[in-house]
Amino acid sequence: MQTAYYLVLVPMVYAAFAVFVLGTVWRLVQTARRPAHPTTLQIFPKKEPAWLYAVGDTFLMPSIFRHSPVLWFFLAVFHVAVLLLIIGHLELFGDWPIFQLVPHEVFLGRGFVGLVAAVSVLYLFFRRFHAPVRDLSVPEDYYLLILLFLTIIFGSQMDWARRWYDYDVMGVSAYRAYLWSLVMLKPFVPDEILYSGHAFMLVLHVFFANLFLMVFPFTKMMHTFLALPMNLLRRG
Amino acid sequence: MDQQMREDLLKLFQTKLNRAMVYYLETCTRCGVCTTACHVYQSMPQARYIAAYRAEIVRRIYKKHFKGQGKLWPSYGEAKELTEAALQELYDAAYSCTGCRRCMVYCPFGIDTQMLMSIAKLLLVGAHAEPEILTLLADTSIEKGRSLEFFKEGFLQGVKNLEQKVVEKWKLEAEGKTVIPVDVEGAELLYVALAGAHSIIPAAAVFNAAGENWTLSFFEAVNFGAFVGDPTRTKLILDRIVNEALRLKVKEVCICECGTAYRVMKQLSGTQPFKVSSVTEVHARYLREGRIRVSKKAFEGQVVTYHDPCQIARNGGVLEEPRFILQHLTDDFREMAPDPRYNYCCGGGGGLVALGEDTLDFRMKSAKVKAEQVQKTGATVLATACENCHTQLSDLNRHYGLGLNVQFLTSMVADALVVS
Ligand code: SF4
Ligand code: SF4
Repeated sequence: MQTAYYLVLVPMVYAAFAVFVLGTVWRLVQTARRPAHPTTLQIFPKKEPAWLYAVGDTFLMPSIFRHSPVLWFFLAVFHVAVLLLIIGHLELFGDWPIFQLVPHEVFLGRGFVGLVAAVSVLYLFFRRFHAPVRDLSVPEDYYLLILLFLTIIFGSQMDWARRWYDYDVMGVSAYRAYLWSLVMLKPFVPDEILYSGHAFMLVLHVFFANLFLMVFPFTKMMHTFLALPMNLLRRG
Repeated sequence: MDQQMREDLLKLFQTKLNRAMVYYLETCTRCGVCTTACHVYQSMPQARYIAAYRAEIVRRIYKKHFKGQGKLWPSYGEAKELTEAALQELYDAAYSCTGCRRCMVYCPFGIDTQMLMSIAKLLLVGAHAEPEILTLLADTSIEKGRSLEFFKEGFLQGVKNLEQKVVEKWKLEAEGKTVIPVDVEGAELLYVALAGAHSIIPAAAVFNAAGENWTLSFFEAVNFGAFVGDPTRTKLILDRIVNEALRLKVKEVCICECGTAYRVMKQLSGTQPFKVSSVTEVHARYLREGRIRVSKKAFEGQVVTYHDPCQIARNGGVLEEPRFILQHLTDDFREMAPDPRYNYCCGGGGGLVALGEDTLDFRMKSAKVKAEQVQKTGATVLATACENCHTQLSDLNRHYGLGLNVQFLTSMVADALVVS
């Protein structure tokens, strides 16, 4: 069993990051090298400065707010939660004074960020069973949400266990030791992690996250990087 | 479909894959926000009329033939092989989309469904499965460009007959000048009209009243190549006018009330020594500079509203000018709701009006929401600045018994001219 854990926690993590980084860069470069569209693609009336409006379109999603406020709410909550979770993971590598402007224990939000993220993913998922979005959805849309949900749930479990059930075998210091060993290319998994009763949660979390990272460059997840350039085209 | 044919069509597909197109193909999250954007869906709420649904029909073929994902695991994104049946789906998607780009305003990424539909249209042309009449009309236009000498005589005779009408109606003696000048080298402005007196007579009256040094193009503005989505033909049709403008050394090319022609000329003609304007912009300029005067008498007691042609307004940027003109023509102008950026398509774009009776039923059903939008203004006069829109709005007027007076903006300006 420990061998399987090790495979997920070490080689698969390296593979996932390699596929994610190289795949994303490759796809973006490949697309950027294609010829530009010969004419403008903007929508009028034009507002100046166009780039600022494009940034606003990308990060505030005003058109969704106008046409589908409930969806906007869950999307906004979801994306902000994911951002906070990413910050939380960065903090697993060390202390970042900038993130400690709001003093907190790692992870931010006392476990509620993960909960909120999971609930909004469920909303996005069940929304797809409802016409007309059901008619638009393809399996990809469900798979990605399931993958996200599993990643978030198993990840949050560990946070919840520590905060809400006083579970303290696996702590931040163990994660730091593990993650830094990966970065330094001297991988090693501390015994607290490998032999703890909750190890399976971490392993499942990492497993699903690995899968997610590996499909990322080849799916609609690329909207993360393409949203801004596309909005720039529309704003002219 | 045999292998050779499929390969040829995929080559055509490949020519369309520029950077923007790949963005549009890769990014849709199928969030469904564009659902209510489309006038067709608003009028007939069926999934196949949602912008993203149409786009997905093209996207499935893209996934199958251009993405590893569709080859390794087709069911993941419902990738689909290009077959005869797929062609039929492409036809239904592309020819129920008017290319108005209203959905582009809704989409959080700004996906351009018209552009995605241009792939469908190109594949149909490649498979000879497009509406034949559009290609025929496009070829006629191209032929006219090639053998101008042959058409010249008849054209000049036709123009002579129209001149009479201008003189009668406006009592405009053009002080020894020709009323409708043709082929004048060194003229300031080349006016590109449509085949039809209504596109030439009022325009001529206004140009002469403004003392414009203008000349009428031999060619009609309409670009059937663009309707059928054939880039080669679009370019050939466009080039006739570009070459004429260069030959006559004009400083401005003025496109008549034709949305597609305006957008194609404005955005596709490249960098040229002349500028491109719509006749609406030119009329607004005359008014602003005091070169023409109009009176509000002609439309006294009328309530006027204006339909923004998608290719001129949302996609072409001419929004202020028609409103400026209408301020001079009436005291009772009512804007449609919601605002022009969100204006509904008339339902006749993308070649649907050019297909005439064949699409009439669909055009009337799919534009129900447009008819309602117009009706809500309480207007008696519905002005517009596009031939296609005018035809479609007149059909809607009849079909839904709206009791409107559908007018071209140029005709309204001409009718209200104060000739001193
Ligand atoms: S709004 Fe845009 S991203 Fe959403 S389904 Fe429509 S086209 Fe796709
Ligand atoms: S471009 Fe217009 S007609 Fe076509 S899908 Fe979008 S809203 Fe509908």
